[in-house]
Amino acid sequence: MDILAGLIQTAFLAGGVLALAALGEVLAERVGVVNLGVEGLMALGAMTAITTVVASPHPWLGFGAALLVGLVVGMVYAFATVVIRANQVLSGLALTYIGTGMAATLGKPVSGSPSPATFRPLDLGVLSDLPFVGRAFFSHNILVYIIFLVLPVVLHWLMFHTRHGLNMRAVGENPAAADAAGISVMKFRFWYTALGAALAAGAGAYLTLAFVPSWSEGVVSGRGWIAVALVIFAGFRPVNAVLAALLFGFVTALGFVGQARNWPVAASILSMLPYLGTIALMIVPVLAWQRMRRLMAAPEGLTEPYFRDVR
Amino acid sequence: MSYRLQRLPVAKPSVAFAARIASVVLALLTAGLVLKLVGMEPLALAGRVLKSTFGSSFGLEDLALLFTPLLYCGLAVAVALRIGAWNIGAEGQFNLGAFAAAGIALFVPGPDWAQLPAMAVTGALAGAAWILVPTLARAYAGVSELITTLLLNFVALLLVYWVSTGPWLDPSGHALATTARLPVSVPEFWGIVHWGLPVAVILAVGLAAVFAFTRWGYEVRIGGSNPGAARYAGMPVRRHLIAVMLLSGAIAGLGGMMEVAGTVGRLQGGISNNYGYLGIMVAVLARAAPLGTIATAFLMATILNGGIILQTQGLTTHTVLALTGLILLYAAIGDEAAKYRIVKLAKGA
Repeated sequence: MDILAGLIQTAFLAGGVLALAALGEVLAERVGVVNLGVEGLMALGAMTAITTVVASPHPWLGFGAALLVGLVVGMVYAFATVVIRANQVLSGLALTYIGTGMAATLGKPVSGSPSPATFRPLDLGVLSDLPFVGRAFFSHNILVYIIFLVLPVVLHWLMFHTRHGLNMRAVGENPAAADAAGISVMKFRFWYTALGAALAAGAGAYLTLAFVPSWSEGVVSGRGWIAVALVIFAGFRPVNAVLAALLFGFVTALGFVGQARNWPVAASILSMLPYLGTIALMIVPVLAWQRMRRLMAAPEGLTEPYFRDVR
Repeated sequence: MSYRLQRLPVAKPSVAFAARIASVVLALLTAGLVLKLVGMEPLALAGRVLKSTFGSSFGLEDLALLFTPLLYCGLAVAVALRIGAWNIGAEGQFNLGAFAAAGIALFVPGPDWAQLPAMAVTGALAGAAWILVPTLARAYAGVSELITTLLLNFVALLLVYWVSTGPWLDPSGHALATTARLPVSVPEFWGIVHWGLPVAVILAVGLAAVFAFTRWGYEVRIGGSNPGAARYAGMPVRRHLIAVMLLSGAIAGLGGMMEVAGTVGRLQGGISNNYGYLGIMVAVLARAAPLGTIATAFLMATILNGGIILQTQGLTTHTVLALTGLILLYAAIGDEAAKYRIVKLAKGA
């Protein structure tokens, strides 16, 4: 039982990184912009957060700085892909290279040393002391509750129960129709892409302030790409996205437990699990649930730049 | 008299070419500006890079050794792009090719003349095998090959790291984290430069000829630019897609074999050194033209070599990655900008 409680606890902690990045990507893809720069944004956010807390040891300050850097870089990305309408695949790959490279270069002074300020687990009194449940569900840092409870509910409500959300989805599905209805396609695409990028950088900050918690060049190691894949698997829905992230947190946690308990499998092999699991989850559902396909389909206008004069 | 912008569906080749050059120049200028702002002397640094790269045969030989894997990876990505597939996994296929070739060299004894071809073939096959699942998933289930090929890079890196520090670790105990020196190596033809380079150039010329002059090459190009039309014309688009993606993996795998048996001599973690990712740049800048990759691989090798020379200045290979990202971003913007032309409106219009 103790192992299982520990597994669930680690699953939330590890899944939080993917969940936050995936929520950001859901925002961008719902308005029709795919952002393949998540990996680079996470690296930038992770490096910014730890550099900030080294200067001034307040975790919220580090997290906020990462969000801000993500927003600014996201605005540059949105300028390239939404305003100039450059190819989204190329621009996204470019963002990954720039982010990863810049973070590794600028992060050198803080490389390897533990973060001087972290988000600590909250003490929820009686709840945290409960057997099993206390450890599994009520001994997390504040970000875990925000990412798994607050954000998905708020975003789901926003996207599927408000006029604003309807407009947002219309921009992603059929920009020409949205434009004809008087919705500003460019405004929606620009700001949600930038906001999504901010969340991706926030996921990086989560990595260095709550999960690992230290900076090294390889700290992101493909988590950004896993998050992009999760969004497809989750059918572009915020609640599904955090559930899928939790599942992946569980796979990661299994690897950790295996290493800690000296399972007769090499650590490198256990580290492969999240990547192989992601590939399996991208392929299996497509084959297994043919009927779900339409429900889980990508927004019709995804990756398509919108030109008013050539519709 | 007034002017307005007009957008063409396809950019004029000459304008597109100029935009490519401009993107590289602008990225270098931006990088120079950043260096200037942090208090370095960009012009002096550039001078040093050019002098140590092109000023001696040692510099040119180093450049050639970087050029070779970049050309293999660039060709791998370019071939896949021809049919509209994104092989972001050249990094992984390169590792697998190196892994398989090293396995043959270390554990299957035989005469040199038989071993090298066997290593080349297994390296290529291993690269193709590594892209098999993403290929089939794309061809039969429509799963984005961009993400699946990329995720397999991490698996391949972990695999090579694991075997070279574990089961295949150098038994002599002299070397840390690598296998023993391979008993065979690709012969050199100029200083330390091995035959992997001419083979890559021949491959590039051969692929260019296939795409330009054969029916298969023609069908692949049509399948890439307009799959619907290709299918309507009765071309087996899916079969071509599978063949092209496997070929792409095989080219990257062959590059890995040449690297482990020609340049490095041992299998070790990180042998791919981001070549797979830089190969994407090589292919994109060349607009997926095989002959063009020779030029762009040379450019990328020069930039990468510059990064290595400037390591003492606090720059790293990661700085090079950031710079290439900047080139890619400008190139993407330039691609779109090249589609516009300024038209003069006649009076009264």
